Amino acid sequence: MADSTHEQWLAQIDAELDGELSLVERAALAKHLATCGHCAGARASHLEVRVALARSAGNPHAFVVPRPTIRAGTLALWVVVALATGLVGGWFASHRWGGPGGGSTLEETRGTIVVQ
Amino acid sequence: MGPLSFSSVLLVIAALQGPGTRLTYRIRVIEPASVTPRVLASGAVSGPLDSDMRLTLRTDTAAVEALFQVTAFGDTVTLGGDFLTRRLVGRSRRGLPLWEEDTYRRQVRMTWSDTARIYPFGTGKGGQGGSPRAGMPWVELILEREFAGGEARPAEAFDLVDSTRDVRLEAVVRPRRARVILNLVRGDTVSAPRGIDLVPDEPPRLIQLVLKGRATTLVVSLTRPDPARSTRDRALAHDADIVCLRVAQPAVLEPLGTICGRLNNIARQLPLPTGDTLAATFAWPGPR
Repeated sequence: MADSTHEQWLAQIDAELDGELSLVERAALAKHLATCGHCAGARASHLEVRVALARSAGNPHAFVVPRPTIRAGTLALWVVVALATGLVGGWFASHRWGGPGGGSTLEETRGTIVVQ
Repeated sequence: MGPLSFSSVLLVIAALQGPGTRLTYRIRVIEPASVTPRVLASGAVSGPLDSDMRLTLRTDTAAVEALFQVTAFGDTVTLGGDFLTRRLVGRSRRGLPLWEEDTYRRQVRMTWSDTARIYPFGTGKGGQGGSPRAGMPWVELILEREFAGGEARPAEAFDLVDSTRDVRLEAVVRPRRARVILNLVRGDTVSAPRGIDLVPDEPPRLIQLVLKGRATTLVVSLTRPDPARSTRDRALAHDADIVCLRVAQPAVLEPLGTICGRLNNIARQLPLPTGDTLAATFAWPGPR
């Protein structure tokens, strides 16, 4: 995002406050805000507007940026899938290449007599 | 058995009993090097036509023991080899080395002037009959025969150029007869030595030994030892030059004992009921 224009950064700030940015994009934005006072000021203004809107709507709390959530069931499923894949792959690799004496075939390591 | 195979048998027997034909295995152990291959060891073993050669090559990761035999047939000769190989294949969970053992046989037919190349550690990938495994030595073998009257004992000549390598070469000859020298011993008195040529499995012979004026008569016969118990010893013929002397008293079936040993001039002792000790020394017989 080095070539992003100022408008693009403002759009990113809006998206961040809406909770639509990924972790990487948020990191890039934070890095930019640390060096760009203009954008940092714009972000503070946006926050103030949102907080004011929230309060006028009867919400006593300031605006909270929603964060992406991972459901426990999905996480458990992926852990089980990863473990099963690892076990099957490990069993296959051990069966195919594992154990001592692997490498060349038996005939290749046996002695040979050749008449010249 | 057809007439051709019968005549073949006759030819082989005639060759084996020929007028002192002597077989020589001439070998060179060669290691690949950056410029030209390097000779690690060279040598020769010789003996009667039924002599075998035992070759041992050891590296840090492999050991090959092989027994080579020759079957002569006119101008051609069949070279056979029984190989026993041990290879380091890894380490156990407790850090100890794991070895695999392999036993197999190889055989080629060649003429007397041919050179056989033996790749004891295999030829590696794509090297079928062409080149050795990378960095591993190989052996060049030439078979020669010559006429030498009646000499039955084996001879070995071996020159190890690189003494850091473990290479061994031995002649393996099954003696058809043995020189047995017998003494009676009591305390510090020894009888006059009595030497006899004995042939294994021939009928027993009577001998008389005199110690301090008293004669002792014994019945002696030469036998072969029982076959070796381990597969390795049988395959490598480690007991080939061992003979056993069976000692008995006249007219008594039960033997006094049996003395077994190699034909290496080392005296072996057997206590007798009379209090004397019989010392037997086995040696190769002189030429006939």
